[in-house]
Formats: sequence, C-alpha cells, structure tokens
Amino acid sequence: MTRKQKTSDTLANDSLTAIILEIPLNLAKAIWGFLVKISKNRSGFIGFLGLVAYFILTFILPSFIPFDDEANLDEITGPPGSRIQLAVHVDNADVYQSLEDLEGRVVGVVTQTGGPSFIAPYEDTLTVEEFRWSSRRTGPGIQAALTALANQEIDAMLIFSKSVDEVITNQEDPDLKALFDANIVISNPTLGPRHWLGSDTQGRDIGSHIVHGGRILILTAVLGGVISTGIALVFGSLGALLGGTVDNVLTALTNLILAIPRFPLLVVLAGLISFNNTLFLGVLIGVLGWPALMRAIRAQVLSLRERDFVEAAQSLGLGMPHIMFREILPNMISFVIINFIFSITFAMYEQIGLVVLGLAPISDYTWGVMLYFGRTRGTLFNSDGASMALSPVMAIALFQVCLVLFARALEELFDPRLRSGLV
Amino acid sequence: MVSQTSPMLEDAKPESATERIIERAMKIYQNYILRVLLQAVLTVWAVTSFTFILIRLMPGNPIDVLVEQILVQEGISYEEAYARVASSFQFDPDASTLDQYLDWLGDLIRFDLGESITSPGTKVIDEIARFLPWTVFAVGAGLLISFILGIVLGMAMAYYRNSPLDHLLSLFASFITGIPNYIWGLLIVIILGIQFGLFNVGQLRGTYASDVEIGFNYPFISSALAHAALPIITYVISTLGGWMLNMKSSTMSVLNEDYVNVAEARGLRDSRIISAYVGRNAMLPLFTQLTISIGFVLGSGVVIEEIFVYWGLGHYLFASITTRDYTSMQGVFLILTMTVVMANVLADLGYGLLDPRVRVSGEK
Amino acid sequence: MGKMKDDVVLQVDDLSIVYHTIRGDVKATNNVSFELRKGEAMALIGESGSGKTTISLSLIRKLPKNAEVTQGQVLYQRENGEVQDILQLSNRQLREFRWQDCAMVFQGAQNAFNPVLKVSKQFEDTARAHGWSDKKAVRQRSLELLKLVRLDPERVYDAYPHELSGGMKQRTLLALSVLLSPQIVILDEPTTALDILTQRAIIDVLNDMQEKLNFSIIFISHDLSLAAEMADVVATVYAGEIIEIGPVNDMFYESLHPYTFGLLAAVPKLDHEQDVLTSIKGTPPNLINPPSGCKFHPRCRFVLDRCNVDVPALTEDLGSHLAACWNKEAVVEARKEQV
Repeated sequence: MTRKQKTSDTLANDSLTAIILEIPLNLAKAIWGFLVKISKNRSGFIGFLGLVAYFILTFILPSFIPFDDEANLDEITGPPGSRIQLAVHVDNADVYQSLEDLEGRVVGVVTQTGGPSFIAPYEDTLTVEEFRWSSRRTGPGIQAALTALANQEIDAMLIFSKSVDEVITNQEDPDLKALFDANIVISNPTLGPRHWLGSDTQGRDIGSHIVHGGRILILTAVLGGVISTGIALVFGSLGALLGGTVDNVLTALTNLILAIPRFPLLVVLAGLISFNNTLFLGVLIGVLGWPALMRAIRAQVLSLRERDFVEAAQSLGLGMPHIMFREILPNMISFVIINFIFSITFAMYEQIGLVVLGLAPISDYTWGVMLYFGRTRGTLFNSDGASMALSPVMAIALFQVCLVLFARALEELFDPRLRSGLV
Repeated sequence: MVSQTSPMLEDAKPESATERIIERAMKIYQNYILRVLLQAVLTVWAVTSFTFILIRLMPGNPIDVLVEQILVQEGISYEEAYARVASSFQFDPDASTLDQYLDWLGDLIRFDLGESITSPGTKVIDEIARFLPWTVFAVGAGLLISFILGIVLGMAMAYYRNSPLDHLLSLFASFITGIPNYIWGLLIVIILGIQFGLFNVGQLRGTYASDVEIGFNYPFISSALAHAALPIITYVISTLGGWMLNMKSSTMSVLNEDYVNVAEARGLRDSRIISAYVGRNAMLPLFTQLTISIGFVLGSGVVIEEIFVYWGLGHYLFASITTRDYTSMQGVFLILTMTVVMANVLADLGYGLLDPRVRVSGEK
Repeated sequence: MGKMKDDVVLQVDDLSIVYHTIRGDVKATNNVSFELRKGEAMALIGESGSGKTTISLSLIRKLPKNAEVTQGQVLYQRENGEVQDILQLSNRQLREFRWQDCAMVFQGAQNAFNPVLKVSKQFEDTARAHGWSDKKAVRQRSLELLKLVRLDPERVYDAYPHELSGGMKQRTLLALSVLLSPQIVILDEPTTALDILTQRAIIDVLNDMQEKLNFSIIFISHDLSLAAEMADVVATVYAGEIIEIGPVNDMFYESLHPYTFGLLAAVPKLDHEQDVLTSIKGTPPNLINPPSGCKFHPRCRFVLDRCNVDVPALTEDLGSHLAACWNKEAVVEARKEQV
C-alpha cells in the first residue's frame, strides 16, 4: 500500500518534472525549428537578424550607455566622428598626434569655435594662443591662425573639422593657398570626444539618443498594433461567426471608419487633444486602425467556417468558443501574426508622422522627436548637422524595413496563398 | 399588328425574349448605380457628422485659442478679450452643438461650406477650390505612375520568378514599402537637396513660382511640374513596392490558370497573351487596392505637403488645425471623405467594366 | 527530313522525355514511336501518371520548363506533303503550327476561356494570331462550328464564358479547336468532370465533327468505353512507354499485354452477366528509378524469370497489332479461360 502510494507519488513527480522540463524543451525545439526555417529565406533572415539587433539596441544597450543630456558648446552640430581636429605643420605630422605630445608647445585656437574651452584643462602644460574670430566661416581669424601655423610661429592648431578644409580649398589668395597646401596637414582628425553619429544642436551625443529613443516608440507601435489587431480579431470573428444583425452592424461600422481619412483624423484628434503621454497615442492609433484588418479576418473566418473540420465540430455540438479558439484561431494564427506585424508598421508610421508634424508629445526624446528637432532646428541646412535628422531617419527606416522583410518571409513560410489584407 | 390581348399582358410581355433580358438588365444596372450612389451619400453624411461632433467634443475652440493668446500678449481682462475675439469671429461658442450641426447641415444641402472662422469673409469652398486641384494633381500623378510601373515590374517578376532579377526586385520592393513616405520625403530633401545640392528646397515652396502667369503656357506648366515633382516622386516610391509585390503574386496565380495555357496552345502572340490574358486578369484584384491606396495617400498628404511646403489640401488642413478653424477643417474632411467614397464608387463601377463576372453578382 | 507514308499525318520516332526534378530525373517518356494516319482517331489509355499527357504535350511542344526531350523526333506532314520535325521548329513556326495544324483541347474546359473576354473575342484572337483578321468571316465560320457542336450559335458567340455551363464551354472549346481546320486535334480527357448526359453529347458531337471535317484525333483517356467507341487505334501507355498498340477491336478483344488485359478486366461490361471486377495489384512504378527489364513485371500476373532482366520490344503479332511482352501466350490462355 505504502509502496504503491510511493510509486504513484514518484510518478506524479516524474510527470511534473517531465512537464517542467518538456515545456522549455519544446519551446526551444519550436524556436530552433523556426530559426532553421527562417534562415532559408534570405531576406526574411536579414529582417529577423535586424529585429534582434534592434531589440538589443533599444532594450539592452540603454542600460549600458547613458543618455547624453549635457549641453556641450564645443560639440554643437558635429558631424559623425569627432568634431575637433589637430592641424600641424607638415614637418611635425608624425610628432604631434595628441595634446600630450604638445607639452610645452604653442597651440593656436580660434575664439568662439569651442576650441578654447576644450583646451582649457591643458592650459598648464602648453601655451595657448588665441586668434580672434573675426568674420564668417572663412574669416581671417582662422586664416591668420593657419598662416601662423604654416610659418611655424605656432606648433599646432585646434580647429573644427570643416573649417580647415573650407578655408584651404576656398582660399582666394593663390599665394596663401599654395602656402597652406604645402605646409599644413591634419595629424589627428579625431582629437575631441568621439561621437559615432555626431552631435546635435546642443552638442549632445546623437548616438546615445538613438539608443534611448527607440524603446517608447516601439512599445507604442506594438501597443497600437496589439489594440488594432485585437479589435479586428474580435469584431471580425464575431461578425463572421454570429452573422445576422451583429455582422451587419460591424460591417457597416467598418466601412464607415474606412471611409474616414485616417491620418487626417488622427492629426485633428492629436491637434485638439494635445497628448502628454506617448503610450496614449498608441491606444488612439490602435482604436482607429482596425477596420482594414477586420475585413480580412472576417473573410478568413468565413472561409474557414466552411471547411470540413469546422462543420464537423459544429455537428458535434461543440460550442462557439470551442470552434473559435480550438478550430478556427489555430488555423489563421499565422495570418493574424503577419498582419499584427504589418499593423505595427502602420502604427509606427502614424505615430512618427504626427511627431514630424509636431502634434505628438515631445516629452520622451524618441527617434520621432529627434527627427522633429533635426528638421525644425535647421540642421538640415547645415551639412555638418545632417546626422541629427539622418540618424533617426535611418533608425526608423531600417526598423520598418526589417519588420516588413520579416513579415513577408513569414507570409511565404506559413502559407503563400494567404495574402495580407493590407496594402 | 392588332392584337386582342389585354393591355396589362402587353405591358408585362415585351416583344422578344432578348429585348426583355436587355430591359431587365438595364433596370437592374440602373438600380445598382442608384444604390451605390445612395450608399455613397449616406457614408459621406455619416462620416462628416461623426467628425463634426468629434471635433466639437474636443476641448479648446477657436475663440479660446485666440483669447488665450491675447490674454498672454496684452494683459486685458478675460471678458474684454473674449468679447473682442467673439465679435470678430462668425462663431457662437454658446450655441449648442446640435444647433451648430443643424446650421451646418442646412448650409451643406445648399452646397455652402460656410466661411472660415478665423478669417471671416473667406469662403471655405473657395479655399478648397484653390488647394484641392494641386493635391489631386500630385496624388493622381504619383499613384498613376506607381501603379503602371508596379504592374509592369510585378509582371516581370512573375515571368522571371526565382531569377536574380526577381530576388533583387522583391528585396527592393520590400525595402521601399517598409520606409514611411514622409521618411522618403525627408531623405530626398536632406540627401538630394542639401547634401548634394541637386535642387533648392527653398525655391520649391508652394505649387508654382510666383512670377509665372497661370494658364496653358510653358513657364507655368514647367514651374507647376517642378514644384510637384518631389511630392510625386515620394508618392511613387512609397507606393510602388506594394503594387509590385501584389502584382507579382497575382500574376503568378493567373499564370497557372488554364486559359493562359490554352491561349499559348492557340498560338496567340506573346504580346496578346501578356496584355489581354495575363495582365488584365492579374490586374483585377489590384483595382480594389487602388481605392484603399487613394484614401491612404490623400491622407498622408498632410505630412508630405508639410515637408515639401507644397500648398495642397493637406497643407490647408494642417493650417486650419493649428488655428482650430472648425469650418475649414470640416470642409476639408468633407472633401477628403467624398474623394475617397467617390473613388470607391468609381472603382466599383469601373470594376464591373473590367470583370464581366461582377456585373452579374452586382445585381444581387 | 525523313520520308513519311502519304497517308500518315504525324509520326513519332523513338521519343524520350525526362523531367528534371529535385529528387532526380523522371523518365516520363521512353522510346515512344507511333504513326497517326489522316482521319484516324487514336486513343492513348493508361493510368494517371503513365506519361500519356507528356506524350501529347510534346506534340505541340508545350512541355513544362523542367522537361527535356532527350531523343527522338516528331514528324508532321502537311497537306502538300511537306514534312517538318516539330521539335526543330523555330518559335515563330511553332506558334503558327499550334492550333492551325494541331489544336489541343486540354483537360477541364471550365477555365479554358479568359473570363474577361467574350467568346467571340477569343475566337477572333485565335484567328488573328494566324493571320485571319476578317471579323465577319471569322464570325460566320464560328457560328457554323458552334452549330455543329449543337449550341445556340448567336447566343454563345456573344456570351462571356461565365454565362456558359460546363458542357457548353467544353463544346465551345471543341468548336474553337477546329476553327482553323487543323489536321490534328488532341483531346486530353475530353469528358471528365462532365455528367453522363453531357459526356454522351460530347461524344456524339465529336463523332459528327470528325465525320464532317475529317481531322485526325489523338485522345487521352482512362475511360476505356470512350476509347472503344471513338478510336480506330488504341495505344496502351505504361511507365512512359507504349506497351501495346493496335486496331481498336484487336486491342479490346485480343489484347496481348497483361497490363491492357488487366485494365479491361477492371472495367464492368454490360454484355457480360457475371463479372468479378479485378483490379491490377500494386502501384504505378517510380519513374525516377524504374524497375529493370519489363517495367510492368512487379505487378504482372504472368511474370517469367527473364522479365526482370530483358526489356521486351514491341513486336508484331497480328497485322498491325503490336505488344511488348515475353509471355503473350499466357494472356491469350487466360482470356480463353475467362470466356
């Protein structure tokens, strides 16, 4: 008796551990199977890898890379790489590579370029000679400094990347131009702090903003996608399964909402409500975004309902919930997942579109907000600052492309006949 | 022929069977058009009513917006500022939403969209007439080009499926559809306009240069084309990929149809098979998508026109939103909805011309 | 070009076709040879997958892209005596050859017509593609043909395909197939997917048409009763080979190959009272790795030791009746027992 009980106990334990072990094992198997499948579709695999990279970039990297919120006048609208360069005489090109090499030497800076404040900590070890900033970009301040450098009156010069080239190439005086060309080289093009993506109009590191600016945006888009897909799924299957008045009302509602120009409506709502929470925007986008998908899901459920296995279940008297969740849903889950991904791209599209118009909250410093400032603060018109707009543009564009590639690959993988209901 | 039959019978039985069929078909077809049109009118009414009420329910009306501005700027009392603004606006904020709605509806029946609230004396319909053609031009040209291009490329992909060309074009199509259209707009402005200086963004503000005379003359047309070029290119790039991929899958399923096989066995010329047998059938499902696309592209015009400072309907809508100009917003919405619904109606009727099978099902 | 007898319109010599697939090469047709005389109706019978359709598709060179003709020729003799190898035609010549010289009515006419074009348009298309653009003449000829297939010519000619029933479409396709007076019409399962009455009507129409227009027919069927009724010559196809060929009566009453014999035993006969229907055991052979020797030997009732080693050739026994078998005597014996 006791023995028997014991065996049943161990059996229960066994099965429990077996189940506990089995779940992750099966999950791992499923994931592995999926990876093997997706790796055969080249563009799908690229999309998948891209999404994984985006996950790391926006959800893991923020813990390691701090958000740069410190205005830094030295670095205002810097190009990718480093803003500050070290110019030296040709003869010293190999000698002077850093400020440490210049100990005891004379270094020229031009006032108002940010150079003086950058060099301030080194003032004890080297001599700083300031040249007055006297005109626009090609002003004589820089010109005088370059002349001094060419004549070896000073040993090195700190200068902003673009101005050196510009002053040298745009030099109208042929003698000076020959002098500069012959004598001046840039020994260290990346003297200052390195910004991989450059710096914005306040001299903050754009790279850190990219790392931090994706999470809220992606979460909002996913939220919008979840809500719109959810509503579409519920309404679409209710309409198709219940038919009659419910179906008529839902279909009429769908057609009506489809007739409203969706983005302008969002613009109006956003302009009138003035949100202060990005996630709320996701809810709004989701609530308005379901009709097209609802139609597609309704059509899917209608066609699935005609299939033999569903009719068999119906004749067995299995209830509507059983038919929906056990028979129909598993058969269109891939369709729903694919359209869920497409609805994320739509939510992303609308969300950022609103931000570009300046109608969405700018409290979170997202890629959209970066894009907004990159555009409105005139950095578009300064080629050094193009990165301020281009970086978020690329981040958004590549994310969307990865989503689309991934979704299209899933489409081919699951069932090439199922076409998405969205354009 | 003199007949003895009663007039009732004569009425019920026209002379020949074919005539009877034709007559009945005409009747049904006319009814069908009538029904479609009625539905369209109802939809437009429902949507505009919906947006009307929605707009009024939102906090902040045009007077509040301006009053607040004046309060901040001039430091006079609220009542004073309110009275001043209210007197200059043709808008009574105390009127109930229902009264406003009935007024608006009454005007609408007489095709009167009212006057702008923020700039009294300006008729909304005139403003729309000024801005709408440019949007229709840009969106229409963009969609037409991308539709045709997409159909040609999509068919090419289907004919050469699994070739390097197909893989390349598929990737290209996924890539360009993935990127939002305003991003394309910004990329064009930043990279082509500013980095490479291919054009002067500032000069392309508006819809045509201010120094040309409107009319059928070269300077005006070339100027209008130059101003519309960037929005059109943006619309083309952002919609092309969708057409390509859809046309490819549609063509591939048509290529498997028996009638294509039979057409080849009949010794038809390839050009005839591609155009009338494959192309025409493969294009059918894309027409329904075209109507969805028209609504979508028109809607997204708000951002695109802002980016390129193209003075179309989207630009006008955005301006009226920032000033909370209810009547203007209302008018633009009406027009946008009408355009989308009309596109749907035209597509419905046009689809019947393209696919004879629909003419039958349309009767139901 | 090779010589052909005057009364032969089509001569297939030693034709072999291979399908290249991922799993290997499918030998769909092996060393097939036959002649089709003018005005003659030939039936190709056999199980599905035996290669009947491949043979017929090769006659108008409409094989799938992964197919390759590895050897043989298909000679066609025009009415003026000119002989051409269809496999050597240029694309332009081929396009002209199709339908004008040899029309093919595919299986399942349900979707044979472009749904967006009127029937008239599709007749005109066909005529124009072969240089006949006189619409009135085309219309007149088409109406005659539609009448011949017992349809209401005016109504059908101006209809859209979806307005016609399945049987009407099939008959319209038959009319279309002879629009350009081809010498040969290939019919692939002309009556499947039709109800019995429509099948009957189609057969009558076909007989009628052939009598009036005097073209040659190759038809593919697994409906043996249809073959018996329509064909002058019957060929049995098994595993991509013609294993028996002969005049229809010889084939049905004096079949010499165990496979043909088995096929006939599997058909219910109205004039016999008893009849236990016997089916052929086993499944059609794998054509990627076909059996050695006679390909039928694994399923054969009368198998001999040599059957899995030596390949039997088509040999003449009685006049024009040929069969490829090592043990024809056993088949003859078995039939005697049966009767």
